[in-house]
Amino acid sequence: MPIVIFRCPAGTQRKVDADIGASLMQAAVAHQVDGIVAECGGNAACGTCHVYVDAQQFGRVGPPNEVEDEMLDFTAAERRPTSRLSCQIEITGALDGLVVDVPEEQV
Amino acid sequence: MSALTTAAPGAPVVSLDLAGLRRDPYPAYAELRRSAPLAWVPSVGRHLITRHDDITHAEKLPEVFSSREDGSLLLRVVGPNLLREDDPAHRRLRAAAEPPSRPRHVRDEWAGAFEANANRLLDELAGRGEADLIGDFAEPFAAANLALVLGLRNATAADIAAWSKAMMDGNSNYADDPIVWSRAESATRDVDTAVAEMVAAVHGTPDGSVISSMIHAPGGLELGEIQNTVKVIIGGGFSEPRNAFGVGAWAVLQQPNLLARVLADPSKWKQVFEEAVRWISPIGMYPRQVTQDYELAGTMLPAGSRVALVIASGNRDEAVFERPGEFDIDRPHRPHLAFGGGPHFCMGAWIARHEVSAIAWPQVFSRLPGLRLASTAAPRLDGWVFRGLTSLNVTWQAT
Repeated sequence: MPIVIFRCPAGTQRKVDADIGASLMQAAVAHQVDGIVAECGGNAACGTCHVYVDAQQFGRVGPPNEVEDEMLDFTAAERRPTSRLSCQIEITGALDGLVVDVPEEQV
Repeated sequence: MSALTTAAPGAPVVSLDLAGLRRDPYPAYAELRRSAPLAWVPSVGRHLITRHDDITHAEKLPEVFSSREDGSLLLRVVGPNLLREDDPAHRRLRAAAEPPSRPRHVRDEWAGAFEANANRLLDELAGRGEADLIGDFAEPFAAANLALVLGLRNATAADIAAWSKAMMDGNSNYADDPIVWSRAESATRDVDTAVAEMVAAVHGTPDGSVISSMIHAPGGLELGEIQNTVKVIIGGGFSEPRNAFGVGAWAVLQQPNLLARVLADPSKWKQVFEEAVRWISPIGMYPRQVTQDYELAGTMLPAGSRVALVIASGNRDEAVFERPGEFDIDRPHRPHLAFGGGPHFCMGAWIARHEVSAIAWPQVFSRLPGLRLASTAAPRLDGWVFRGLTSLNVTWQAT
């Protein structure tokens, strides 16, 4: 099972096992990672599962899709070039070891 | 599966008077959170779930806490609709209706027209020096914006307001008042007629509205599906922004220091909005029906049990929000539940945020100088399923 790493604003790190086929958001919620709110449950409608993908690894997840791209303009924390909605990133074996930063604010 | 109309075995039974809940539900919610966070309330015919963490837990399990509720009041008023469906049936309807309410579309397509609607109303009001900000501004503003977004060019703001009130009274008619049912039925007939007209009009010429979006979505929707979706949106899309506007304006007018801060920095209105819908949530609760035996808050709910997720209570939960009864825009960021959660997360959230916090409040407070609460008539709050100010009398220096 791939492992993904959430770096939280307080400086702590959470390494969690992520199911292949689930979303990065679902992996966070299943392990109660602080700061991934995910109000809309994974429909790219609320913008509260925002993460910054580690800049060195952004190529592994790629750019946001069209609907997600729009929502990223309206997140509570500033949008950066590495911003993604974690509900739109599907876990695959190739994402083992992925590191993302959780922003200060989601709402 | 048919609904169980009785308490789950072992669930505490708490009698609550609906008239008392309408006046002020918050003391009852505080007591429920403390002593019976899942309680069968006979007058509501449902188990009320009142703690923040239990509500978010249920919201994240739509396959257990189903929106397909037997005997739903909303089904009776509106007919089959997306709020009372689960995915994938819900998703199909929502995906067709949603694009015009997404945030970039709101900013690029609707914001200018919303501004114009606010300006037109304030042009009429500015010279008067006194008004009821609910009846004279918030209602016609929200209704005009909603007519525009839906694409109901054949309806006036007054039509939208009247239809919405009649249907919302039906949706919360837990007291089963026959006059309320009859008014709601009359409103739904009128909406059906208006929608059918506009569907015919935009069939060949898309106009960016919700009705147009539903017709031209991949696969397209049937007329009845479009009519029922529009009815649901008229229900919430009018009263929720009205109530958010009223509660936030009232809160700011009661705190001179806060008023000075938002006037100096209008970006603070965004925080006022999120705190207003937390403090007095426009939607107080919504129903769900459990699909399988499921334990929540120490009670085993048998399959078919009816529950109400009381988001107004979750938004006052002491375990999440310190001093929950106070209006404080500087409180630590914690997710409120006012827009609901999961697949049914409020479709109008981005419209409401923009029309109220980026347009209505900044315009009202800048165009009506010296705005203050009138000393003659105190604001009145009403409702528990849906809650807000029924009037907000103010005065200012007429210009």
